[in-house]
Amino acid sequence: MVGSNSSPPRPKWRKVAYGGMQPGYDDNHTDETFLEGMVMNASVVKRDMLKVMLDSVSISEYLCIVALVVLVWTYTLSSALDENSLLLIDISLLVSGFLILLFTQDMLSLSLLLHYALNISFFIIGLYVLAPIYQTLTRSISSDSIWAVTVSLLVLHLFLHDYSESTVKAPGVLKNPALTSCISVNASVVASVFIASRLPSRLHVFAIMLFSLQVFLFAPLVTYCIKKYSFWLHLCFSISLMALTLSFVFVLHRLLFVLLLSLLVFVNLVCPYWLIRIQEYKFEINGPWDEAKLCFDITD
Amino acid sequence: MGGRDSALQNQKHSILMVSDFFYPNFGGVENHIYYLSQCLLNLGHKVVVVTHAYGKRSGVRYMTGGLKVYYIPWRPFFNQNTFPTLYGILPIIRTILIRERINIVHGHQTFSTLCHNALMHARIMGYKVVFTDHSLTGFADSGSIHMNKVLQFTLADVSQAICVSHTSKENTVLRSDLAPEKVFVIPNAVDTAMFKPALERPSRTEIIIVVISRLVYRKGADLLVEVIPEVCRLHPNVRFIVGGDGSKRVRLEEMREKHSLQDRVDLLGAVPHAQVRSVLISGHIFLNSSLTEAFCMAILEAASCGLLTVSTRVGGVPEVLPDDMIVLAEPDPSDMVKAISKAITMLPKIDPQVMHNRMRELYSWHDVAKRTEIVYDRALKCSDQNLLERLSRYLSCGAWAGKIFCLVMIFSFMLWHLLELWEPADDIEEAPDLILSRNCVELERCCRKLNNPENQKNSSDTI
Repeated sequence: MVGSNSSPPRPKWRKVAYGGMQPGYDDNHTDETFLEGMVMNASVVKRDMLKVMLDSVSISEYLCIVALVVLVWTYTLSSALDENSLLLIDISLLVSGFLILLFTQDMLSLSLLLHYALNISFFIIGLYVLAPIYQTLTRSISSDSIWAVTVSLLVLHLFLHDYSESTVKAPGVLKNPALTSCISVNASVVASVFIASRLPSRLHVFAIMLFSLQVFLFAPLVTYCIKKYSFWLHLCFSISLMALTLSFVFVLHRLLFVLLLSLLVFVNLVCPYWLIRIQEYKFEINGPWDEAKLCFDITD
Repeated sequence: MGGRDSALQNQKHSILMVSDFFYPNFGGVENHIYYLSQCLLNLGHKVVVVTHAYGKRSGVRYMTGGLKVYYIPWRPFFNQNTFPTLYGILPIIRTILIRERINIVHGHQTFSTLCHNALMHARIMGYKVVFTDHSLTGFADSGSIHMNKVLQFTLADVSQAICVSHTSKENTVLRSDLAPEKVFVIPNAVDTAMFKPALERPSRTEIIIVVISRLVYRKGADLLVEVIPEVCRLHPNVRFIVGGDGSKRVRLEEMREKHSLQDRVDLLGAVPHAQVRSVLISGHIFLNSSLTEAFCMAILEAASCGLLTVSTRVGGVPEVLPDDMIVLAEPDPSDMVKAISKAITMLPKIDPQVMHNRMRELYSWHDVAKRTEIVYDRALKCSDQNLLERLSRYLSCGAWAGKIFCLVMIFSFMLWHLLELWEPADDIEEAPDLILSRNCVELERCCRKLNNPENQKNSSDTI
């Protein structure tokens, strides 16, 4: 341009839009102030391998819980477990779960206890009344289809499960669960109904339904409470659960054992390593063009 | 300027403006296209606008100054956008390009699918393409990641790009990987003749704060809900006039009920663009609470009416006005209340007429058109490239996206050649240019200078 050669110092370029074209500078003028407001990776946290591994333990813990449920199903379907021992398992699980909840939660009150007892008794009575319906629900469908549907439902359940906290909340929690975790709970309930419908007697159906629902609905709550109470307790509990499950599966079937073991290794070792590795590709850009965030809550 | 530039200035372009957003709707983009076209017509260029049909408004219309508008018969399906069919509009765009002897295609706005499609076809047919970005987009959510990829596709082969503010330029360069030298910053302007201050200065006994914006989240309606009661509490002589409608209007009404401010906060509902000035001139301070804004034309309109502006410091807003004409605040209620208090103390020093005169010097659409003309000249000087060279540019857009983009372009190329066979360019009739009476008046003046009676008679025939 003409202005650039003239002897008096040309006016400094300013980052403004008003006043027309700035004398001596083209509209596509780009200098060192360009992109100076850009901030990269402002909110990226450095992750520690050990911490990620310890965090992933809760996933493998839940995987083991589901594997144990499937074990009980297969033993019941092959008549290795009769209804009385099933009911015994139910009652011991119920009592131990209750005790864990009571010990880990701070507020230990009679009214809460009553509240729990009332709800559970309603739940059990309802289940007992509905048991004959469940028993004949899928009589016209072959067992293979039922197993296929159950496996896919369980995979869906595991995929959508909320591993960070529990879908069934302790009373007094305001936050609603996410849609995906609700779908996950429903998938597990349907899977248990399908399995129960293959059983010979009404008491069998009742016992297996009670068992599955107890585990699927309340096990996340119990493990969540344990984790909140003490992380080391959670770790010990998880590791012993894993050992227990692996040994049971080893007795049942070698291939399944290898599969479960490799799944646990994948979840606890490979995935954390992978996450740490792909962290370096993380690329966040922030700058003056970002939409401003409101610093207060909107109560709609 | 040298002789080369003056030679360029004589060269008149035929420009096709493409966007989904145009009159009868009103907004920043619509205004920009309209005023830019009018001023380009004044400079002697030929301008044709292409947009989609609005209700029954379909076909070819003429607007002020002989601005020809093609409302192509495609219905909008979402947010005033046509359905992105990729190739659906190729035949009609090609016909318009040939009929109107276009040499530059100028697309507007990232969110316009019509613009993206038209630019893509124009590029494959070898036209020079300019793109104007009117808005800012983030990088984090899935919607904007997708939008940014589409923008990268469109801008991969664009001749020149224009942004409305420096912040917008930074944003566009980051989103599209375009070379910063290819991106020009040409702001919007304001029609100062339309936004004049009131003849008599509004009284100072009561201070009126005007807000005109859509009442939605992005425009910061939630900030207003927090700010208005606090300002009313601190300053008993302040009144608010809020123009605009939207999903957050209910919250403002609730706020008014809750703090019993019915007599101090007027909610006008949607204000037609023609009445914006009459609302503006009844106030002293204009409040803009947007959370994101590439340029903000509303501030210009308010400043042109002589109002002192208080605005959130977001996007390109800090570049829009000199510091003594605007009070900026962080998008945080307490800071905004402080800014409004500061603006109230500044008010006695503000003379609306002086402010208006300053705005006339700072912004004009003619200046915008002249600067855009330079961009067009640059675009025309860009060398022509064959298909292969262009495809390599698309290929570099991404591992997967690049290959998909290439396929899309190759298919567009084949379709274009198929169309050439089916309906050869020579068979398409060229539209005669409209000769306007205003041009005739100029012609008449020239003729009178020549003092040739015969010419004078001819020109009066054409009127």
